[in-house]
Amino acid sequence: MSGLTLRVITPDRIALDEQTDAVHLPGLDGSIGILPRHAHMVAALDAGELMYRTGGREQTLFVAGGFAEVREGTVRVVSQAGELPADIDEERARAAEKRARERMALTSKGDPIDLIRAQAALRRALMRLSVKTRNS
Amino acid sequence: MAGVKELRLRIKSVGNIKQITRAMEMVSTTKLRRFQDRAIASRPYAEEITALVANLARVLGDQVDELPLFRKGEGSKTALLLVTSDRGLCGAYNSNILATLEKWLKSEGKGADDVDFFLYGRKGYQYLSKTGRKIERFFVDPALEAIDYRGAANTARALTEVFLSGEYEKVEILFTAFQSMAKYVPTRVQLLPISPDSLGTDSEEAGSGGDVILEPDAASIFEAVVPRYVETRVYNALLEALTSEYASRRVSMKNATDAATDMQGELKQKYNRLRQESITKELLDIVGGVEALR
Repeated sequence: MSGLTLRVITPDRIALDEQTDAVHLPGLDGSIGILPRHAHMVAALDAGELMYRTGGREQTLFVAGGFAEVREGTVRVVSQAGELPADIDEERARAAEKRARERMALTSKGDPIDLIRAQAALRRALMRLSVKTRNS
Repeated sequence: MAGVKELRLRIKSVGNIKQITRAMEMVSTTKLRRFQDRAIASRPYAEEITALVANLARVLGDQVDELPLFRKGEGSKTALLLVTSDRGLCGAYNSNILATLEKWLKSEGKGADDVDFFLYGRKGYQYLSKTGRKIERFFVDPALEAIDYRGAANTARALTEVFLSGEYEKVEILFTAFQSMAKYVPTRVQLLPISPDSLGTDSEEAGSGGDVILEPDAASIFEAVVPRYVETRVYNALLEALTSEYASRRVSMKNATDAATDMQGELKQKYNRLRQESITKELLDIVGGVEALR
């Protein structure tokens, strides 16, 4: 059995369900490449860019962290958000970036958990923008 | 005996009420469908997360029991997330869930200090403030009806923090589970600590053996996935409660519309009889008058 099915599952919908040739996942310790017949794997994902190739055409998707399970020719990505470049709302991402920066400035001496959260929000906003600007 | 004029007014006002209840019935039907669709759409995500937690728990084995979210809390109190509706006119929806609450409080002998309440829905808030229970937090932003995954996740995070503060023994949710269009059952489930039973870990799943590559490692993935699991439980409970609320409201509005139709029929009959009677009486008068003149 060749080929690879990529399925991106979010709480609101199944964002993507496609046949592909290769998938690159944004792993916590760097990008993870998946080809057909990959071994059974479970990985935690960082907020970032998920790349997949279908017949020589590369496409990108923003994922907001989450997990991926590779099993029997299917890559299942479970994430809170999976957005194609066309679906990303640039203005909202910019607003989120600004908000996160303000929050970081405010909380830099306060609660460390708030700071970590603000940093994560900033990362998500920046990744969204980068996926958007490079692919449209 | 009500006069003809009074009856006419009454028929009209019943008709107006009927129009309103019918409109509310239709609104409830669409909203019901919307929440139901969302509940169905969220299912694959919840299933994947639950499967991940269950599989990783199996890989980690006894280590799991040591994690704070799996251990009984140090306190003795219970934190209860109670989901009622913001608005009325939904039949017995709220009274059912509040009756279940009272029954549980009574059977466990919980006093005012033993349970702290976290609330969704104004009806529950009104009820509990009247009965003198301790309301720890009343979630209004986002409103229950406008709940999305992010809102539910924030609530889940707040509850997790409360649990980890060590003041409580456990966190439970009391909500109305949606079983079918005609059946919604008040249900209490334990949210924290996570019990292995709720994951279904003892049922060995085929093909999920130990030779899985874990990136970066089981403990880190587990640590990241468990909060997501708690979030999906809260989100699911809220969606089910909303679905039940609208199903219940639709049924009660349908009953109201039907009752109004019946009432309208009865009143109309009475009205027609009265009208006929007065016409007959007038005719008799006229005929009597003509006869007398002859």
